[in-house]
Amino acid sequence: MGLSGLLVLPQAFGAIYLGETFCSYISINNSSNFEVRDVVIKAEIQTERQRILLLDTSKSPVESIRAGGRYDFIVEHDVKELGAHTLVCTALYNDGDGERKYLPQFFKFMVANPLSVRTKVRVVKESTFLEACIENHTKTSLYMDQVEFEPAQHWSATILKADDHPSESNALTREIFKPPILIRSGGGIHNYLYQLRLSSHGSAQMKVEGSNVLGKLQITWRTNLGEPGRLQTQQILGSPITRKEIELQVVDVPSVTVLERPFLIHLNLTNQTDRKMGPFKVSLSQSDTQEEKVVMVDGLQTLALQQVEAFSSTNFHLDLIATKVGVQKITGITVFDTGEEKTYDPLPDLEIFVDSD
Amino acid sequence: MDNTDTGADSPDHHQTLTSDHETETQTSISDDPLTNQYLTLNDLSPELTSLHDLATRGSWRSILDKVSRARKLSLLTSHPHHHLTYTSYYLIALTKLRRYDDALLDLSDLHDLDSPHYLYESYPHLYPNRSGSMVPFSLRWIHAQLPFRSGNRQETLDRLYTLLDFVRTKLIDKESENLGDSVNIWKRREDFVVNSIISHHLSHKEFNVCVELIKDMIRRDSSNPVVLSKLGYVQMQVGDLEGAKAVFDRVEGMMNEAISGGLLSEIEFKNLVNRNKALVYMVGKDYVSAVREYDECIERDGSDVVAVNNKAICLMYLRDLSDSIKVLENALERVPTVALNESLVVNLCSMYELAYVNHSDIKRTLSNWIARVAPDDFDSSCTRI
Repeated sequence: MGLSGLLVLPQAFGAIYLGETFCSYISINNSSNFEVRDVVIKAEIQTERQRILLLDTSKSPVESIRAGGRYDFIVEHDVKELGAHTLVCTALYNDGDGERKYLPQFFKFMVANPLSVRTKVRVVKESTFLEACIENHTKTSLYMDQVEFEPAQHWSATILKADDHPSESNALTREIFKPPILIRSGGGIHNYLYQLRLSSHGSAQMKVEGSNVLGKLQITWRTNLGEPGRLQTQQILGSPITRKEIELQVVDVPSVTVLERPFLIHLNLTNQTDRKMGPFKVSLSQSDTQEEKVVMVDGLQTLALQQVEAFSSTNFHLDLIATKVGVQKITGITVFDTGEEKTYDPLPDLEIFVDSD
Repeated sequence: MDNTDTGADSPDHHQTLTSDHETETQTSISDDPLTNQYLTLNDLSPELTSLHDLATRGSWRSILDKVSRARKLSLLTSHPHHHLTYTSYYLIALTKLRRYDDALLDLSDLHDLDSPHYLYESYPHLYPNRSGSMVPFSLRWIHAQLPFRSGNRQETLDRLYTLLDFVRTKLIDKESENLGDSVNIWKRREDFVVNSIISHHLSHKEFNVCVELIKDMIRRDSSNPVVLSKLGYVQMQVGDLEGAKAVFDRVEGMMNEAISGGLLSEIEFKNLVNRNKALVYMVGKDYVSAVREYDECIERDGSDVVAVNNKAICLMYLRDLSDSIKVLENALERVPTVALNESLVVNLCSMYELAYVNHSDIKRTLSNWIARVAPDDFDSSCTRI
């Protein structure tokens, strides 16, 4: 049937990919009639960027190889670069006449990328979901031995898998054979889904503007007879978090106030950046409709606030007065940063009940 | 009561001729000698024993001669099934000799295999009380395999799956009629067709399908250590080493409990387990232990060619090229009948190319020896001269 377990030596070099191990059997054969002595053997891999020494017997040369004899060795090299590679083998020896001779041999091969990884990040409430699609560019199918997501600091990751299809296979086959994840050659793909969570919640430190690093994917695959290959992706970035520099919160609002009687609302301004911000001016901005406000500032229309240190906050209050009874809105509480000349979005409307006298 | 099997059943007597080196020689003859007129192969068709003999020895060219002569001299006209029997051998011989176009041509001379021309009931005067198809099973199998040889893989796969369906229907019929011997024959045919299908999928690296098919075979007969081991080999080829090891452990467990469904002798079973162990050592790069396992096999059974071949490869990985060559040459000398296969020769020639500057000389010596002793169908292109 073709599955007798008979092993066959590779008949052609085939292809080698980034992350795999290049392995070569080198046989130095003395086919002459005389003994050769003091054999210095060197094997190195040359790429565009570097030369990597794999074997060098110059410190202890092979004393002699008799006529018809051989000296064999096996070299291995983990392939970490793309493109052209050359295995250079040289033998330096003394021939029968005592002359120093030199024999080089070259073997060229190309290294290509075996996989490509495409990622998508989606944020749903507290969770960030990372979709990774691995595509196989090689000529053989790849057995995905391990695909692990290594989250960055402060993140934790869980892989999400679909439930196993409840097949009718009996206990025997289920026990001895878990279907392997095998990505077929020439463009086959497999998708992985991870759920990521920030391990420290609500820490002000985390809420900074800019892109965030989620982590990287470590991939180990195997080919024929378990030959492993290993690669990892670059850092995968999440969607940029646009966190506010300034957070304005209402601390206290009286639920009932009296018509035309001044009242206070208490607010808190937090500086979420790592630098001093301010000074600020707080006011009730005019609405678009140009209607006169029902609730107005009682006193100076603009409240001045001092600078606020990095990652700290300040509490203040606004003096307000309502001009109509009933359910009314406090609209347009706005902060203006005089230092940066920047107006922040106003607070959402606040509702109060204004009672008559 | 006569054994009125329906469908391809005269060949209850002459077995599925495989295209593998080993031709099945089992002839399961119906139990009742008084009513069955086909007691021996020669009763079935003229000189069938001789044809069968030639096939066993791999003398495919002689088979071609014999069939051509029989056809020319109109020796096969008394009963229509003679023609089919001889044609089966003819096509198998052509296939073995890789003369696929000739085989397709000859096949095209036949009617559709399910036509009434090939039903016993169409000739009541020749086959009284007999009904069903006279088409030998091997002919159906060759008919399925040939399109692949002329480049139409899909047609072959379709035909093989159809043939599998045909076999399974027969199996259900036989089981319901409680025909024990027949059931066994059809079960073996089922495995045979499944194995053919697996070969095709393997060559296209469609491993998931192969695994499903093998798992299916295991489900049908969980006491077959050979099939279970094959699952392990597929897993190894895929790279699933953990899975393979689990399967091999199971096979070893079966040996300790002496479960083999009567398929393997004690020695064969022990060797299978050793060889599986050796593979696990090999992929773990522990070649010394692998060689030790293979040595145990060879000591028990010197004709265990898989062990010999794989031991040679391990020696090479231990940088002992000279000894690896000796092991293979030695096997060819000692047990040429079993050792002479294309894979072993490919390995030996690869080693020659590595070992000798003037490897063409030594390869030519090997090639000349092969030409003298090999069966007709040996593919000598494997020496790469």
